[in-house]
Amino acid sequence: MTDPHTRRDRARGALLGLAAGDALGRPAENLDPAEIARRWGRLTELETGPDGVAAGTDDTEYSVFAALLLAEHGHGLTADHVVAAYRAHVLTIDGPMRGAGFSELGTAQALRRGLAPPLTGRAHHHGWSDGLAMRAAPYGVFAAGDPAEAARLVAVDGSVSQSGEGVLGGRAVAAGVAAAMTGADTGAVADAALGAVPADSWTGRSLRAALAVAAAHGGPGEAFTRDLHEAVVVAHYPWTDLAPEAVGLAFAAYAVSGGRVEDAVVTAANLGRDADTTAAIAGALAGAGAGEGGVPQRWRDAIGPVRGTCLPAVAGRHVRDTADLLVPPVAEPGART
Amino acid sequence: MTHDRLRGAFTGLAIGDAAGWPSGRHRFGLLAPWTRRLARELDLFAEEHRVTSLPVPFALNQPVAPLALGPSDDAEWLAWTARTIGRDRAAAFTDLAGRDDVRARISVRTALDHLRKGTGPPVSGHDNPHHFDDAAAVRAVAFGAAHRGAPEAAARAAEADAQVTNALDGVAAARAVAAATAAAVGGADAEAAVAAAVAELPADTAIGAAARAAQALPGDDPFALVPALEEVCADHVYSYGTAAADTVPAALALTRASAGRLGAAVPAAACLAPLADSLPALTGALTGALTGYAAQPEAWRERARRLAGCCLPELAGLDLLAVADELAAATGHHDEGVS
Repeated sequence: MTDPHTRRDRARGALLGLAAGDALGRPAENLDPAEIARRWGRLTELETGPDGVAAGTDDTEYSVFAALLLAEHGHGLTADHVVAAYRAHVLTIDGPMRGAGFSELGTAQALRRGLAPPLTGRAHHHGWSDGLAMRAAPYGVFAAGDPAEAARLVAVDGSVSQSGEGVLGGRAVAAGVAAAMTGADTGAVADAALGAVPADSWTGRSLRAALAVAAAHGGPGEAFTRDLHEAVVVAHYPWTDLAPEAVGLAFAAYAVSGGRVEDAVVTAANLGRDADTTAAIAGALAGAGAGEGGVPQRWRDAIGPVRGTCLPAVAGRHVRDTADLLVPPVAEPGART
Repeated sequence: MTHDRLRGAFTGLAIGDAAGWPSGRHRFGLLAPWTRRLARELDLFAEEHRVTSLPVPFALNQPVAPLALGPSDDAEWLAWTARTIGRDRAAAFTDLAGRDDVRARISVRTALDHLRKGTGPPVSGHDNPHHFDDAAAVRAVAFGAAHRGAPEAAARAAEADAQVTNALDGVAAARAVAAATAAAVGGADAEAAVAAAVAELPADTAIGAAARAAQALPGDDPFALVPALEEVCADHVYSYGTAAADTVPAALALTRASAGRLGAAVPAAACLAPLADSLPALTGALTGALTGYAAQPEAWRERARRLAGCCLPELAGLDLLAVADELAAATGHHDEGVS
């Protein structure tokens, strides 16, 4: 495995890429590409508040949540640990679960009704949601170089909140990030993702179709967007948080951009649909390969500590520091080891 | 008896379909688009002006006949299934793919998109955001009627149809409804028909767990059961009320509690507003078979049998009872004691 400095750099790159994608895609969520073009031309800049900080959404905050679970339990993570964390930090939220997706609320309701995993992930109707895929990157960062272990760990998390394709979406992203953490090229990263899901699955078919579109186009653009939508987007469904679709869009954006962070994130965000999640996934994949320096400086400057809007328990955590919790400690110059 | 029960399954489904509030919304689709646009504006008006007078389907310079009490989507898809029952299911659906005048559930719309692109079952039903809905469970009534007295054969036939548009819980639901209908039309009592359905629902699935929880609720008064059923079967998180894991367990519970009496079960089903698109229809099919056609209220039978064409325009005016009789005749070899 790579040396600790490089590993930490890639971990930071992955979570900064994720946070940047989340923030860039946020205003484009649920818009179609034509509407995005009408509003922004091409959406490339993070929307920042008066303090110069760009707010992320559930993608970033639940990724921090997952990272803290991993930092505490590591390879020994169990579904009971995940349930305990939901009970401590999610079920305790008073009033609306702001910014949360359907699968998080469905899971909370299932737990309140006394159900246990895996029924908690099956008893609501958003089992296929991309709620696991959106927070899967930390599993890949933690299990760097071991896509199978990354996929196993994220599926433990997913057994509480998702079922079927929702779990597979998480597995694909975690495995892809685990491969990217070694500096693997986009093809090897895509292969790792495909290797983590059954060939005969919606996620597998969506990934293959999306990657074929990416391979057929030299780069992003109108034709790429049109062909990709035709290949993986469900036309007659109003919600966009379908994991097979989101994962397909994210990997295609990553692959067609050659793994460059800015291109991957911008491409994904401008595809619309669940744009904050797809851009976050593309950003995590690309950031894991490129490291912190691969994330544009202007975006890094705009990423502050998370606000805890969706999950008060993670308020104040910075993704850069959170990334450090997922990798072996690095001996600082001058420190005794 | 068998023939009366077969007819009863069809008219019972249509009565339930008519009894649920969404039938008025579906039938509203027969009016001009601008009238429906005005209805959407009235919804917004109620919101913006904070008035509790909620709009109902209405006609302005339009015929009012479609807005009268009557069947809608579920009865039409049952009729379509019965009339195409001898055909390969993917081929039958492919004939609808690419048409722009069909209305259908999200599972069916998505499956038709797949078929248009050349992707057939089981992928068309599996790679589908609503693979878990009850579209196939409604169609399964036709397979139960065709294979009356043979629940296993009915379940197999329904599964082949269900795989075009659904997967997992959506397919299990179709098997369950087909088995229960086949048992009921074949002469079983409510308890046996419900048991045949529950046997098709694995306990470790959402639909199997909900079905068992709903069956465990005490009481034999369907109306009294409504609040408890709402707790078990309606989660209020998801934005659509046609998930098979919600509606089929509730229909089976109401069938059991009513001992198969349509007049007690269907009104209770219609009270579960979030599930009222298909729950009354499914409940009506099962209790309709158990009650029989002759014992159903005549005024309801007469209102329910004439299809409106709100999903499949070519079915406008079709007599559902005649469709049931045609199916009975075409599948007569299954019968020993047709009366």
